[in-house]
Amino acid sequence: MIWLLRDIELLSVLARAATLAFEALLLGGVAFLVVVVRPARASEAVGNFCRRGIRLAALAFVVGELAMISSSGAILMGGSDLTLKDVMNTSYFRADSFAILSAIGLWICARLKSNKATVVMLPLGLLLLAATVSNSHAAARIDHRVVLAILTAAHHLGTAAWVGAMAYLLISLGRVEDPYEARRLTQRYSRMALLSAPVLVLAGVGMARFYVGSWSRLYTTAYGIMLVAKIYLFLAMIALGVGNWFLVRRLASDPEPLLTRLRRVVEAEVCLGFFAVLTAASVTAQAPAVDVSAQDRLTSHEIFVRMHPEPPRMSSPPLAVLTPPSSLAVAVQNSQFGATVGSDDIDRAWSEYNHHWAGLIVVIAGLLALLSRHRTMRWARFWPLTFAGLAVFILLRADPENWPLGPRSFWQSFSAPDVLEHRFGALLIMVFAAFECAVQAGKLRAWGSTYVFPAMCALGAAMLLTHEHSAIDVKEALIAEMSHTPIALLGITAGCSRWLELRLPKSRMAPIASYLWPLCLALAGFVLLNYRELP
Amino acid sequence: MFTPRLIAAIVVAYGIALFAPRVALAHAVLVSSQPGANSTVSGSEIAVLLKYNLRVDMEHSTLTLLVPDGRVEKVAIEGQPAPGLLSAKLTGLVKGAYVLRWQVLAMDGHITRGKIPFQVE
Repeated sequence: MIWLLRDIELLSVLARAATLAFEALLLGGVAFLVVVVRPARASEAVGNFCRRGIRLAALAFVVGELAMISSSGAILMGGSDLTLKDVMNTSYFRADSFAILSAIGLWICARLKSNKATVVMLPLGLLLLAATVSNSHAAARIDHRVVLAILTAAHHLGTAAWVGAMAYLLISLGRVEDPYEARRLTQRYSRMALLSAPVLVLAGVGMARFYVGSWSRLYTTAYGIMLVAKIYLFLAMIALGVGNWFLVRRLASDPEPLLTRLRRVVEAEVCLGFFAVLTAASVTAQAPAVDVSAQDRLTSHEIFVRMHPEPPRMSSPPLAVLTPPSSLAVAVQNSQFGATVGSDDIDRAWSEYNHHWAGLIVVIAGLLALLSRHRTMRWARFWPLTFAGLAVFILLRADPENWPLGPRSFWQSFSAPDVLEHRFGALLIMVFAAFECAVQAGKLRAWGSTYVFPAMCALGAAMLLTHEHSAIDVKEALIAEMSHTPIALLGITAGCSRWLELRLPKSRMAPIASYLWPLCLALAGFVLLNYRELP
Repeated sequence: MFTPRLIAAIVVAYGIALFAPRVALAHAVLVSSQPGANSTVSGSEIAVLLKYNLRVDMEHSTLTLLVPDGRVEKVAIEGQPAPGLLSAKLTGLVKGAYVLRWQVLAMDGHITRGKIPFQVE
């Protein structure tokens, strides 16, 4: 039962992340329809498509909210003697129900298509925003609640009008046959983005002032580290956005090829935007940096001791000297009220060895991919084979207390969330290695197959950004976060650049992208090679 | 090119990306507590005061006490002197090791759990 509740807790956090993304898509759709499609006098096809997107986002949002209400209710009732009636009296239940009703209202309006229905979408969207803000960090703060609620609302609105609406622009550009209509849509969207991006930034800076408090907390707390990751993604989006801005200005001269290029770049930008939303969900799952006590923050000295370059560990302690695993029943019981995975120096040396070998494999893969760019080094294109070795390595060594090395059986081992993540990761890597090898060899030419690599990069990065480090010591978890987050960001960059290379094969961007992703891969390997758990 | 199926695929892809696992148990932070974690107290009756960084919903928060003989007893929350404070009273304590377990619902809907081990002499 306890284990089931842990899984439900997992679902609760995941549902929260999903609703944040679908909220951006839903409100972004409304903004795009009202601010871009209608004034630009777009064709009926674009309007219909936009409404269909809003309906899909509304449904997904409702499903996410329902999952969140149910999982939070189950956790509340499971960990106490509260009844369903009690749960229905909580403020989060009321706010979520209100958000669901608003989303249903938006779905109905998107179905009606009339002008009146479109106008009604605006107040409904604002009501939905108010409901979600009332369940944000701001609502629970002891001080400055009103200011923080306004800043949060502005931040959500800026995200929706910039990132959420960008997805609709992308879809619309694919539906438009008249290049001048596409130009009108793009120009109006650009104007909206020019307003919404600064709103997002200013509100974010304002929130950081209250939630982070000082510069040092940006790199000494989990909240700060995730925030830095979010800023990196934002800057990458801005870089692509600036390029798009110049493209839009040139659209009048040569619309057809530029529009295609614009669409491809927007695809990468949308991807980055939703990774930023995912990172935001991770940020909201952390205690604000300003609330983290000094003893739970890293010091500059601790960061230097653990992060400065050192030769990797290439020999492993024997399995027999690792901390003996407790029975699954004891582990489950102990885990109910906090993290329990303890480790000594030998366990840490084991973990370092695992990370360093994994790093070496990734460095080799990246360097081989770089070499394969050269005509005489075509054999190096089979670099994905190294990843098959990595998958087997993870399966064998990542969780020594579980099958095949430890006493816990194959099925029992899936109960622990972190082991489940490792197993799922190994499977993903194996699938990726097989697909990419076939793609590189030219045996697999189906449309989707070439995109498996960027998709895997994205999924892997998402897993890393949201990976749980179940260490007893908060600082240990933080150190792990410090090395895993850059790898996630390098993964996202690699995925996006590979995507652009595939989608824009004849542009000037393609050669740059084709060198960028192998470089990111190799850099991720080097970060892993320097991962340390021992001082 | 951009068919409804592709839009659905994009939405599903975001869903998958967002459904990657994370367990966040550290949202509401226990700023200070009375009794303190791993502290030693004396007497058969002690006051409990838990201070959090966020506003917590007293009505939907729970306290339980793991007593030395392994039983788990429910502890009634007596009041909320301030939005981030919970107060209670522990009675009938005997010499031994106790663990006060708390589960709070913050006003942003996050549920957080923790434990405070302490000794009675």
